[in-house]
Amino acid sequence: MAEILTGAQILCRELVAAGINTIFGYPGGAIMPFYHALPEFSGLRHILVRHEQAAAHAADGYARATGRVGVCVATSGPGATNLVTGLATAHMDSSPVLAITGQVSRPMIGRDAFQETDVIGLTLPITKYSRLVQDITQLAASVREAIAIATEGRPGPVVLDVPKDVQNQKLAYEPGGDAPRLAARGQSGNGGAPTSASLEESVREAARLIGEASRPLFMIGHGVILSNAYDEVRALAEKTGIPVITTLLGISAFPESHPLHLGMPGMHGEVHVNRAIQHADLIVGIGLRFDDRVTGNTAAFAPRAKIIHVELDRAEIGKNVKTAVGIVGDARTVAGLLADEVAARRCDDWLAEIRGFVRPRAEAFSGDLSPEAILASIYEATRGGCTIVTDVGQHQMWVAKYYPYQRANTHITSGGLGTMGFAVPAAMGVHLARPGEPVWAISGDGGFQMNMAELATMVQEGLSVKMAIFNNGYLGMVRQWQQFFHEKRYSCTPIWSPDYVKLADAYGIAGWRVERRTELDDVVRAATAHQGPALVEFVIAEEANVFPMIPPGGSLSEPIEAAPAGARAV
Amino acid sequence: MGASHAVAVLLDDDLVTLNRVVGVVRRRNMPVTDITVGPSQMTGVLRLTFFTEGDDAAADRLLRQLEKTFGVRAATVYGAEDAVVREVALVKVRTLPGGRADLQNVLAQAGATLVAEHDGACIVEVAGDATRTETCIRALERFGVLEVARSGAVALRGANGAVPSSTSSPLSAPLHRR
Repeated sequence: MAEILTGAQILCRELVAAGINTIFGYPGGAIMPFYHALPEFSGLRHILVRHEQAAAHAADGYARATGRVGVCVATSGPGATNLVTGLATAHMDSSPVLAITGQVSRPMIGRDAFQETDVIGLTLPITKYSRLVQDITQLAASVREAIAIATEGRPGPVVLDVPKDVQNQKLAYEPGGDAPRLAARGQSGNGGAPTSASLEESVREAARLIGEASRPLFMIGHGVILSNAYDEVRALAEKTGIPVITTLLGISAFPESHPLHLGMPGMHGEVHVNRAIQHADLIVGIGLRFDDRVTGNTAAFAPRAKIIHVELDRAEIGKNVKTAVGIVGDARTVAGLLADEVAARRCDDWLAEIRGFVRPRAEAFSGDLSPEAILASIYEATRGGCTIVTDVGQHQMWVAKYYPYQRANTHITSGGLGTMGFAVPAAMGVHLARPGEPVWAISGDGGFQMNMAELATMVQEGLSVKMAIFNNGYLGMVRQWQQFFHEKRYSCTPIWSPDYVKLADAYGIAGWRVERRTELDDVVRAATAHQGPALVEFVIAEEANVFPMIPPGGSLSEPIEAAPAGARAV
Repeated sequence: MGASHAVAVLLDDDLVTLNRVVGVVRRRNMPVTDITVGPSQMTGVLRLTFFTEGDDAAADRLLRQLEKTFGVRAATVYGAEDAVVREVALVKVRTLPGGRADLQNVLAQAGATLVAEHDGACIVEVAGDATRTETCIRALERFGVLEVARSGAVALRGANGAVPSSTSSPLSAPLHRR
């Protein structure tokens, strides 16, 4: 039985029908019909953020934690432009985010109306798909299609730009119906599946190379998390005894306590991990894109290794590194097939050789409040049961290197775009996706200040996010580069912070400052146990560095393991 | 520096898809010449043609990016030397008193035709490869060329291949190399 509904009501109906129960947004003129309809839908919880960028990051965090689409809503013009950084972040990290933006009414489009921007034009290069909905008859189908596109194949963000008069149009609405195909979907959709014959052939070839190699490695990335391939990858590693490297976005795809786990590669990878890559004769990459922070100078990357690349997005195969065997497919399917196909083997000599590469960790700190100690304390206080959401910079690398992840998909960070300000809003989305589980947002003093207005959102919406600020008084990673590569000219990197304890107090949330190791565990335990949002500032050494470091554009064989001569001792 | 490649893309007939496809090409930062777009053999599907310089690997990467773009039905890259390439040019020239016979001679030599004539000017049409249209335009210069409109090149792969009408050959691996 058809009902007469407005476009805004149809939007809400379709979101509910798609199983969506949480949306992050901010109202404004061109999206007001949607906000008028919203109270009729008790199944849609709206989180009012303090800036649209936070809505996009929160939807991204929600999507990464659930594997389902995360939804953000904004008005036209500045509302939509504020989403852009969040959409670009989701695009680089293959996260299924649906952004719904209001647009000025159709008769006003193209006339530079108040709060008009070309949202489709702005977001074309940073979305998987985008559509200006020109008529209410296309609206329901557009929502279904957008959600299907965001989640199918390699996930990514999509934008639906809905003019205000389309939101107000009325239509006899019939629910249900198949997800339509309004646009050709290219290979990101189901068309990307290889024929079974060619898949079998390439899996056999890969298995043969794995059997022949004497120094093989697995490198696993975000694709393993996106396709839920943990068991298959682990079975494959255990059957072959091949050590496993996890990229930044692959962290928590493989338990770090496992004897085959090596660590993170690349610019801030441990020396033994990068050296293993440089000595390997075979690298099996699963669900990663061999980006430049992983490979360093590609001409010098893994010079002895053949590369097998398993990746859902065919465009990634051969994009950055030369591939001996490319297998287009979902990480879970292909890892499962490979695990069946490979002969059981061991790599004891190779593992022993890699163990010989291990160096004692360079001291990042002279003070006693080291990142290892802080992270160990959070791990203990949450009994390893929390999700860590990191921002971008030194603290992000310390977490990636030192936090002992055991549970799948418990490490969430802005990898590809490197978006400072990501952690706090994204953690709100993670918290809503995983109610009842502890979530720690870890930021530096720079990144925290970018989106700290979201403290108010947490209070208003009752979001129990725990926030850690690693405060060294600098934009630390940039300062480190200045120290290493710019004659220690600390140009515009010292950064002032407010009194974070007073700030927390002003928002009515719990706040602590930790300056000494002896205070650490009690505070972290108290913050974890606290009902509601809590903030802990960790005052760390000013000139702490992330070691080792491959210089930008350098080879993985040439790590920097200490501050250059002439630099102040830390 | 690599060879010249012809790239043909079949895409949905709407501006946003065209915008998306051109954006993909622009982002790859490859030099592009002679970009044209027009109808294809299928209703509602445009054919975009352009030429680019670069090594085979770069052309292959571009092709993969195009293939996964929403609204793209199919894409193909082939060596420009394997293609039949044609364009149409319209040239408006002055008609000089008493120069009519001379103009007819030039048109006959260039394989061009007179398609419109107004007071003191006429429009000449010439079709063919770039050399032919350029030769014709040069020959017309002495009459006084007022305006030139060139369609830009369209291309079809010569001997052994068409752009498949549905997305791509089997997406099999190991990846084939051209």
